Amino acid sequence: MIEIRDLHKHYDTAEGRIEVLKGIDLKVSAGSITAVVGPSGAGKSTLSHCISLLEKPSSGQILVEGKDLSALTGNALRAERRAIGTIFQNSALLRRMTVAENVALPLRNLGVVHHQMEQRVAELLDRVGLADRGNAYPGQLSGGQRQRVGIARALSLRPRLLLSDESTSGLDPESTAQVLKLLDSLRSDLGLAIILITHEMDVVRHVADQVAQLDQGRIAEYGDLRALVASPDSGTGAKLLPLRPEPLPPGYDYELSVAYRQQHVDPAWITRLAVEHGARVALLGGSVESHHEGTLGRVRLGVAALAPAQAVALLGDWGLTATVLHGSDAGELIEVAV
Amino acid sequence: MRIATESAAVGTDTAVTDLPALLLPAYGQTWAMVGIVMIVVIALGGAMGVALFNTDRHGLFPHVRAHSLLSWIANMGRSLPFLVLMAAIIPFTKWVTGTTIGIAAAVVPMILAGIPFFARLVQNALNDLPRENLAVGLVTGGSPVQIISATQIREALPALASAVTLNTISMIEYSAIAGTIGAGGIGYLAVTYGYQRFDMHVMLATIVVLILTVQVVQFLGDRIARALARP
Repeated sequence: MIEIRDLHKHYDTAEGRIEVLKGIDLKVSAGSITAVVGPSGAGKSTLSHCISLLEKPSSGQILVEGKDLSALTGNALRAERRAIGTIFQNSALLRRMTVAENVALPLRNLGVVHHQMEQRVAELLDRVGLADRGNAYPGQLSGGQRQRVGIARALSLRPRLLLSDESTSGLDPESTAQVLKLLDSLRSDLGLAIILITHEMDVVRHVADQVAQLDQGRIAEYGDLRALVASPDSGTGAKLLPLRPEPLPPGYDYELSVAYRQQHVDPAWITRLAVEHGARVALLGGSVESHHEGTLGRVRLGVAALAPAQAVALLGDWGLTATVLHGSDAGELIEVAV
Repeated sequence: MRIATESAAVGTDTAVTDLPALLLPAYGQTWAMVGIVMIVVIALGGAMGVALFNTDRHGLFPHVRAHSLLSWIANMGRSLPFLVLMAAIIPFTKWVTGTTIGIAAAVVPMILAGIPFFARLVQNALNDLPRENLAVGLVTGGSPVQIISATQIREALPALASAVTLNTISMIEYSAIAGTIGAGGIGYLAVTYGYQRFDMHVMLATIVVLILTVQVVQFLGDRIARALARP
């Protein structure tokens, strides 16, 4: 368990004090991925630097298995750094070292004996699917391969927490998929706690279990990915699974905003609405995706010939969350609490 | 020097066949000066360059005052033309070496001029490395020495090889200037024979030797830098 408690960071400049982080609280359990998202300037990279112990927070704690690492300095800090593995944007491999030497760098820094080091490096390269590229130089690898080497390096000291700082930014979709697949397997096979700092909502939707939305140095929204996506009020949920629905066509009584609340929902729910309950249903927009914990989805419908309250109740029974929207033809959405 | 006394008449050119006997010892002296100077300059100038880089904002121990002081010293050493520096520090040179002429006396101002020059070259080479290298060194648990050697010096080796090449060529040039205070070497030959006695053969020979030397040093330096670069 990794816990970040009331983390503050400010910088004193000639123009006065700039508060970048204003009390961040996060909990990441072993075997789960927490994504930290937010616009640029929200404090993501400062938070990342504090978590990777590159910067000292002004106050607050970073607890790894109950031990506060934020206050350490010097050799104590060097020794405890192994609890946290960091993956950088653009992999940040050393260009004059081979892939194997890059992966071995943390082991070498801690003085691990040679034959143990070789064995561990071979194991790690195998884990990231690059067993045969140990003697290559980073310049000879693709972006996705380089990032996998970066992950192997971060894993070499068996950390408890893996911090990924924009590790898929700038990668092509295929390489991004490879990296995400790897992170996913590290979560399940090694039980790692992973913090994913990113601005890519696609990435978050793909692998995250929890999402924290950072805004102006504070956590604006924080919760399970599924709960955020299913919540009609969640701005983060709307960003995670964005919709651009058609306006309500004439002949329909009202508009319905639907989200998948439960992990497994009868995929034929729209048909059931029409066939079993006689509703006329128009599909205005929607996004339904597979997630490692079941389906994620947000759908916008136009409905006629079924009372709004009845529709909401039915969908609720089927594991969906529904909200009735009125007056959408005027371009103005008034949500009705049901 | 035997040849010099035999062809003492002003304006008489040294016979071409006698040139090697004149040039070779002088050439050896030039390399002796440059060699001694470069060993000291690489050690001290290199350390100063690493200190300049690491006391700067993105270095390992950022320290505004220490950085400004080092920077100021480096600028001071670089602001004087070599001839002026050489003349200005004669008392210091005499105190260190006990003499004001010859190779020993030339080496002192060459070292003093070479250190800040090389320090700036090293600083530039390190500045050109990716910024994340420091973060990589830190998160992989490196000690300051490990970080400087693995993520800075080792990564910058091709650029550092080019810096050594450039510095060596500068020092060959300075050794020729030092020849004017009787330091020996090719420069001394050019001044005493070529300039003071209008000995055209010696003058031309020294020019050819200097041009070839610089070309060869640059060629070798480029080859080494390329061999150190990685794909």
